Amino acid sequence: MFKWFDERLELKKFKEKFLSKTFPTHPTFLLGEIALFSFITLVVTGIFLGLLYEPSTKMVSLFGAMVPAAYASVVKIDLLPIGMLIRRIHHWSAMIMIAAILAHLMRVYFTSAYRNPREINWFIGLALFGVSLFAAFTGYLLPYSNFSVTATSIGYYIAKSVPWIGNWLSTLLFAGDFPSSETVPRFFFLHVMLIPLILVSLIGLHMVILVKQKHTEPAVNQRNKESQNGKRLIGIPIWPEQAIISIAFYFFLLFVVILIATYIPLNPIETYGPPSPGTPVMRPDWYFLVIYGFLKLIPGDLSFSILGGKITPETIGGVIFPTFLILVFALIPILDRTNDPQHYISNPLHRPFMTAFGITGGVFLTMLVVSGYIDVLKITPRTMIIYVIVATAGTWIITYPLLKLYNKNKNGGKNA
Amino acid sequence: MVNHHDTALDNSDKKGITRRRFILGTVIVAIVSAFGSLFSLLKVLAPSKKGGGYVSTIAPGDVLVYASGSKIGTEIKASSMNIGDAELAYPKGKSSNPANLVQLIKLKESDFKSPTDLKLTDKGFVAYSAICTHLGCTVSWVKNNASYTECFCHNSIFNPAEGEKVEGGPAPIPLAQIGVKVTDNDTIIFTSDFTGPIGPQV
Repeated sequence: MFKWFDERLELKKFKEKFLSKTFPTHPTFLLGEIALFSFITLVVTGIFLGLLYEPSTKMVSLFGAMVPAAYASVVKIDLLPIGMLIRRIHHWSAMIMIAAILAHLMRVYFTSAYRNPREINWFIGLALFGVSLFAAFTGYLLPYSNFSVTATSIGYYIAKSVPWIGNWLSTLLFAGDFPSSETVPRFFFLHVMLIPLILVSLIGLHMVILVKQKHTEPAVNQRNKESQNGKRLIGIPIWPEQAIISIAFYFFLLFVVILIATYIPLNPIETYGPPSPGTPVMRPDWYFLVIYGFLKLIPGDLSFSILGGKITPETIGGVIFPTFLILVFALIPILDRTNDPQHYISNPLHRPFMTAFGITGGVFLTMLVVSGYIDVLKITPRTMIIYVIVATAGTWIITYPLLKLYNKNKNGGKNA
Repeated sequence: MVNHHDTALDNSDKKGITRRRFILGTVIVAIVSAFGSLFSLLKVLAPSKKGGGYVSTIAPGDVLVYASGSKIGTEIKASSMNIGDAELAYPKGKSSNPANLVQLIKLKESDFKSPTDLKLTDKGFVAYSAICTHLGCTVSWVKNNASYTECFCHNSIFNPAEGEKVEGGPAPIPLAQIGVKVTDNDTIIFTSDFTGPIGPQV
């Protein structure tokens, strides 16, 4: 059997060339895999949901009440023997995927694995992060509950608040005004077809470049190699070791996700009910909390216009601020560049500026998440702004000198 | 005498278009025109606005009905509301337009201060647009010692006694007021249009 395939597909050559690719071992190198595996789970559960979902806002009768067809179809999915479980696995996997991407991004940042020659993969990774967020946003609307409509409406007005092109952009994305009957079919297509295609392409590109450029290695490998005068990567081959680890890891992850999904409810659309005039007290999923918190902090009177473009609080919180964040992330490998290719991860402790900057940025974003809870914490936006500034500045003032001191004491530890 | 023929031959490699450049040019023109034609698709994908934003269809004389709760769709009785109460309301028969959603509030008449338009209030009843001017969520009524209107989406706080002026949070402008009057048979009717812009100010 193997021989028959081998004669036709040259499997042995394939094995030598690709399956023997070396994976350096380090526990944090699994973060990207968590994102990839969550994506696989999303696709599989998404196929199940897509087969049963009806992308329409036509009013239909459900247990005697008139509700939108999309909402009714999701309630029916929830009533299937494992329907609600599948829906929760789908939703939890999305949250875990984005968390894993963020953790992976942090790992790459703090070990400076984004440097020459891996800048391209850093940009592709950022694009993957952005597209994943958009995938999540389009998924919000599909159950067409009161929560869905409120959340999507907020996104609609943020798109509309983009200076100059806001009106055109919002009609392009939402297929007209929102709420209207056109938005659900448009989002359904984006969510199940266009965005997954983009994600698969970007993931493919990310992986091909990874295979071509090879992983960065733990710094300890450098010493080992120099002593052995070797050049190849030190690690385990893709087959069988890495593959077995990955497969086992995938099923372990699946087990964890199913466990969470079984016991922790998520997006209970029956509780939110179909769209109604009232707005429930609600918070977005965790990955939007930064923007959500920032939106709460901007004073309402901060409106002005430049060159005919109107800048409102919504523009600042929903457009300018996220764009600024993306720019900062994109500029990192451009500003922190090296002329020689770097193939070993560096110890964050040896890079005081970048590490302190990363930690400070992390504290700043975390404080914005906290800002999303000012109503619960009973803090006014003004006070919260002071807290955000103090915490951010304080982190920098503490971490940067400390890291400098650490390196000084180590007698000018190499700035690797 | 200059031999024109020879000159032409000599320059043929430098001045004339080479085959490679011709093909390259053709490919570029083809790609640009193909993608250029796609721009018309963008226009198709972004349909032109029907109404565009929040446009209320409330007419003076429309009766206020409950917009939520168990009595949804039934007329609001003025006598059923106490000072400090608020209800989400629609003009009767016009509930399909979210721009028509108002918050009907009953306050002590002596509590009203400018910029609330007293002429548009009646027996302590005042009505404002219920669509938050920030990002379009429906505002809610927070009832305590000093009741106020709050949008639970991003915690914009409005003062109902002072023309729903923004007391905190990201909302850029107050919620617009609309005139109401209590009729002889205890129902409440609209008496004017909104005093200002309604819905998200984007």
